[in-house]
Amino acid sequence: MTQPLVFMMGEFPAEIPADRQYAKNHMWAMSDPSYSTTIRFGFTAYAVRLLQDVYFLDWHFDAPAPVAEQQEIGSIESKKAESSLYSPLSGEISSFNVQLLADPSGINVDKYGEGWLFDFQPSDHQTDSLLSADQYVDHLAEVWEITQRTIKGQLN
Amino acid sequence: MIKPLNVFVSRGLSHHPDKRQVEQSVTDLLALDPRVKVTMIPNLYDLRPDGDAYSQLKELDEDFIVISWMFQRAAHWILDRNGVLGQTGEVEFGAEEDDDADELEDDILEEEEKQRVIETLDIPDRSIYCLQFQHPSEPQHYVDEVVRIAESSLMQWISGTPDQDKLDRFLNAEQRHEPELSAIEEKAGRRWYPVIDFSRCTNCMECIDFCLFGVYGVDNQETILVEQPDNCRKGCPACSRVCPENAIVFPQHKSPAIAGAPAETGGLKIDLSLLFGAPDAQEVAARERDEQLMLAGRAPVEESGNANGSPAISMEPRQVQNVGADKDDLDHLIDGLDSLDL
Repeated sequence: MTQPLVFMMGEFPAEIPADRQYAKNHMWAMSDPSYSTTIRFGFTAYAVRLLQDVYFLDWHFDAPAPVAEQQEIGSIESKKAESSLYSPLSGEISSFNVQLLADPSGINVDKYGEGWLFDFQPSDHQTDSLLSADQYVDHLAEVWEITQRTIKGQLN
Repeated sequence: MIKPLNVFVSRGLSHHPDKRQVEQSVTDLLALDPRVKVTMIPNLYDLRPDGDAYSQLKELDEDFIVISWMFQRAAHWILDRNGVLGQTGEVEFGAEEDDDADELEDDILEEEEKQRVIETLDIPDRSIYCLQFQHPSEPQHYVDEVVRIAESSLMQWISGTPDQDKLDRFLNAEQRHEPELSAIEEKAGRRWYPVIDFSRCTNCMECIDFCLFGVYGVDNQETILVEQPDNCRKGCPACSRVCPENAIVFPQHKSPAIAGAPAETGGLKIDLSLLFGAPDAQEVAARERDEQLMLAGRAPVEESGNANGSPAISMEPRQVQNVGADKDDLDHLIDGLDSLDL
C-alpha cells in the first residue's frame, strides 16, 4: 500500500490514506468491492482530531433513506465538540454502521476501518465531486485558517 | 470620607418576575453597603447618548461597575461607543473553571500577531467593571463580587503616594456615608445597533464594505466606527457574521457568539457544524442582508457568484475601485512624495 499523505494540524500529523477518495466535509469515501456502486463513508483523521473522544452519535432517520447533498442527517458529540452531520452527496444512505450506535468510540479506535459511518448509494455522477487524497490535502490547507477560527470560537 | 464606588444596575428588557427580582434584590443589598453608591438605570443598550444616564456616566472619571443582562464585552463596548471610556476591569464573578478546555487550542493553534485598533486608542486609565446578571442566580454573589472590586479599586486608589486629601479621606473612613440608592428614569425606546470590540477589531473594513445601510463610517484617523447606529436594520446581525475577528457585537442577539460571549469556549463545546458541511456564515449573512434590503424596498444583491457557485459578498477594497479615476490634489501630492524616494 502506498504511504498515506500527511497534513500538519499545527503539531499534529493527520494521515490521509491515498487508497480512497474524500468529500469536503471531512469524510473519506471508499468503494466496497462486493457492491460496485456502493460507497462507504467515514471520518478522516482531520475530523477525528477536531472531535477527539466521541461520546455520542445519532442519525435523524433509519436507513435506507434518500438524502440530498448537504442535508442534515445526524449529530455527533465528543469531549471537545459537537456538530450536526450533513450528507456529502445526493443519493441514498443504504445502511448505518450499527456498531457505532452502540459504542461511538469505534470512530476514535479505527477511523479508516471498523469506525466507518454509513454505506451510500450515490445518484448519477454525484461521485464526480469527490476529491483525491492530493486534492483533499490541498483542500485542508485552504480551510485550515477557518478551522482554527472555529476552534477559537470566533465564528458566528 | 472615602468616596463610594458607583454601581449602575441596568434593568433588563424582560419582565420575567424572577429576573426583576434578581435586579431588585441585588440593588437592595448593595444599597445597604456603605462602600458603594448604587443607581438603577434603564437597559444600558437602549439609552440615548444625550440622555440623563449617559450624562451622569460621562461625568465620572473614576472606576465604576455596571451590572447588566449582557455579556461583559457587550456592556463594555456599548459604553465605549457612547463615549464612556475606560480599561476593562477584571471580573472574577461568573468566570468558568477552565480545566482542560484549552488543550485543543494549545496544541493545534498557531499564534498570530495582528494589530488591534485598541492599541491605537487613547483610553483613560480607570477601570470599568461589567458584571453580567444570570438567571437563576444568588443575589449575594453579585454583592460579594462588588465588594471585592470595591476593595481592590480602593487599594489602587491609595497606592503610590497619596495626596493629603486622599489620605484624610482614607483615615476618616469610619465616617461613612448613609446608604445610597438612586434611580434614573429615562424613556428609552428599543434600539438595535452593532458595537465594535476594539480589542479584536483590526480595522479591516469588511463591515463597512458589507453593510449597505450606511451604519459604518471612519473617523478622522481612518478608524472604523459605528457612525449611524440607528440606520441599522432591527434584528439583522449580518455584518457580525462577516467580521473576520468576531469583533462586532449585537448585545441583544439570541446567539451567544454574536451577543458578545467570551472568546474562550469555557466549558462550552465547540460547534464544528460549519466545518462538517453546514451552510457557512457568509451565505447566512448574504441571505440576511438580502432580506433586510427587500424589507426596505430595495433590490437584493445580485448573486454574481464565484467559481464555487457561492455568492460573492465581499466587495473589492475601495482603493481598487478608484484605479483609473482622475487623480485629485492629494493623490498628486502623495505621488510627489513617493517619487522623492525618501
